Amino acid sequence: MADLALAHLVKRFAGGVVGVDDVTLTVGEGAFTALVGPSGCGKTTILRLVAGLEEPTSGTVQIGGRDVTWLPPRERDVAMVFQNYALYPHLTVRENIAFPLAVRRMAGAELSRRVTNAAELLEIGALLDRKPAQLSGGQRQRAALARAIVREPACFLFDEPLSNLDAQVRAQTRAELVALHRRLGATILYVTHDQVEAMTMAQTVAVMARGRLLQEGAPLRLYRDPASLAVARFLGSPSINTVAGRTTGARFEGALACEARVAACADAVLGVRPEHLVLGPAMDAAPAQVTLVEPLGPESLVRLRLRSGEELVARVAGEAACCAGDAVGVRVAAGTGLFFRAADGTRLA
Amino acid sequence: MTRGERRAAALATLLWSVATIGVAWHALHGIDHAARSREALARAHALQGRAPSPAFPMHLDVRELSALQQDERPLIVHDPDGSELVTAPVKDADDWEIIGAVGLYSRWREMAISTALPSFAALLVAIGLMVGVRAVRTVGPRVAAVGAGALFGAAAAATTLQLRDAVVALAPRAAAPPALERLALAPPSLAFTGLLLALLAVSGALAVATIHWHAAQAERPARVRETLGAWSFIAPSLAHLLVFTIAPVGFLLWISVHDWDLLSSDRPFVGLAHFREIAHDPLFWRALRNGLVYALYVPVTMVAALGAALVLDQPLRGIKLLRVVVFLPYVASTVAVALVWQWLLHRDFGLLNAALATLHLPRVDWLGNPATALPALMLVSAWGQLGYMMVVYLAGLQAIPQSLIEAARLDGADAWQRFRLVVWPMLRPVSTYLLLTGIIWSFHGFTLVYVMTEGGPAHATDVLVYRIYQTAWEFRRFDVAAAMSVVLCGLLLVLTALQWRTVKGEAADA
Repeated sequence: MADLALAHLVKRFAGGVVGVDDVTLTVGEGAFTALVGPSGCGKTTILRLVAGLEEPTSGTVQIGGRDVTWLPPRERDVAMVFQNYALYPHLTVRENIAFPLAVRRMAGAELSRRVTNAAELLEIGALLDRKPAQLSGGQRQRAALARAIVREPACFLFDEPLSNLDAQVRAQTRAELVALHRRLGATILYVTHDQVEAMTMAQTVAVMARGRLLQEGAPLRLYRDPASLAVARFLGSPSINTVAGRTTGARFEGALACEARVAACADAVLGVRPEHLVLGPAMDAAPAQVTLVEPLGPESLVRLRLRSGEELVARVAGEAACCAGDAVGVRVAAGTGLFFRAADGTRLA
Repeated sequence: MTRGERRAAALATLLWSVATIGVAWHALHGIDHAARSREALARAHALQGRAPSPAFPMHLDVRELSALQQDERPLIVHDPDGSELVTAPVKDADDWEIIGAVGLYSRWREMAISTALPSFAALLVAIGLMVGVRAVRTVGPRVAAVGAGALFGAAAAATTLQLRDAVVALAPRAAAPPALERLALAPPSLAFTGLLLALLAVSGALAVATIHWHAAQAERPARVRETLGAWSFIAPSLAHLLVFTIAPVGFLLWISVHDWDLLSSDRPFVGLAHFREIAHDPLFWRALRNGLVYALYVPVTMVAALGAALVLDQPLRGIKLLRVVVFLPYVASTVAVALVWQWLLHRDFGLLNAALATLHLPRVDWLGNPATALPALMLVSAWGQLGYMMVVYLAGLQAIPQSLIEAARLDGADAWQRFRLVVWPMLRPVSTYLLLTGIIWSFHGFTLVYVMTEGGPAHATDVLVYRIYQTAWEFRRFDVAAAMSVVLCGLLLVLTALQWRTVKGEAADA
């Protein structure tokens, strides 16, 4: 295993479209980093640049301290798991897993030992003689993983590997991938547009938008302490509530009001997570109307509309005490508000 | 049953009815005309030299008379009250002068109408369904089906009588000119009558089934309903297939086991005699061997086409134009291609020999030398097919998911390994398809041989289809040619079965 370092990576496509704009990112040895962002934000391009499937316009890619920017894919010692698994349809699972070894002229006992090991690690030992078409989605996923780990590469690249699985298998595979990462101690760069995957699996999350790296850090740190409105909006489901207003240095004033010990700004945005909205009568509560209650079992989502027209979502534990049409008071729990400059979305300090 | 379903069902019935009427109309007209022509000739022949009448029928004008004399073929004329009749000349004992004529009246219109009657009935039901008349529903499906069956039975009986009438007797007419021989005819061919009756029986059963289906479909499970619906949609093309494909093939099989020529009406069954004859015909074996050698151009062209496709798959500027250029020969008319190549390969003025001459190499009579004629034809075929095969390979290449190639690159495969281990196996269905269809088409090859070499020199380019053509149309041995066609058909069937099996195998793999 080795670390992976991207420095000032830029990719400009023909026609002037900028896919990746000056991205610097390090994935430590044995670390699991998730690259998240909306569709078209450049995260897959970064993965392809690391794999060597695309050439950067400028910048460097280093793997284990070795500059691989201009090396062809096969000399980079990286393995990639594709969204559609990219299993060779004419080969059996065994031949698929053995492929990376066979093209490196490995044969005989060593090859079959490693294939068997990889297959057993992923619990597909019984499927080795089937063709990919005879496997379920989850089994294909495992076969593709086995093909990636069999050659013991310096680092793994995952390109939305779970997005073709149904919800149940996806949740299960998430846990298994984390366990696999722990067992192999592998360096992983994992691309996904699903913030739940990123939050639950990765040690480090890097959020991208429009080719730029917005912020990176531990998942919960990004969630609690986002550097910008875009990051705050991308993480968390349902998404963070936003209310326009202004900060005075001591308070935020808008459709919702709360304490705000940040710099004064005439055009500010309050961001407040659904779990930080408190329903019920209180001194500083803003009047709102309940438009919909969505019970989820352990918690409920209460959708509200403020008098000024803003829509909010509140997350309350257990069953909600109100129902659609009720008039309620809503306020921000003390010290939980996040404040951003409306003009560029940067966090107010 | 929804309105849309009813419409669809009615439309299907309507299509089917129209097709049946058309088929019956054409079949009867043709059969009636052909039967009358044959009979007229035969009767005229039998009457030869008997000089039964003092003069020609007066209504034959000069033009028609000269046509009779020149062609000695049956001629359609109209008698004074406008009825159509087929006439054949009766000659004197020296086979020199025309001394009379035999005329047979037609009754095909009546026949066609009675045959089409049941179809009209079905048509009425269809229209009824379309406009929402529920008469069929109210009388119940069984009654409707029985009624339709009875209608059919009556129509079939009437048609049988009409048919017998039409072929058994020449209609005597008072208005016929006195010179016209009035003759009783024996049934010309029971086979035709049988065919017609079979057609009637099949369409009758179909109509009954359709009516029953219309009436009862609300009670039927959806699967059965869909199956019947599908069949009624297929029916028109099925009828076409029966008449224009299956029937000719049956006819071919029939000819191949009979002594058959255009002129004699005596066609005895000879069993496998024609097959024995071709088995002992060295030219047939020569043609078969030539065909097998000729087919070798297919794999050779495939290799070249794959190479071209790999090059033309690159995203280069102007590559589309290049693809068009490579594809063009395939679009060109084979005859034109053959003529141009005949010129290129010409011994004295050909471009190829001119090139050889500048290199101080001896001139070759490409198409005139038995050793080079077949390879030359193979070259032209390869040139013509290259574009097509290239396009198919290109489609195959572009159908390979890019992620597979990328996966192979990441897995460490170099360019040659990517081709050998991923691209080539993924192209296998395409290759199999091209190889088998190519070989099948190479056995159909005729135009190039016909235009460029006529099978020569010394039968060096004589292939099966050309052999069949020559046997039938130059030697007038239709029966032997039919036997050869049966052998060729068998050969191609084996190849096709092979292709089917391979394609199925590939589909199971994918």
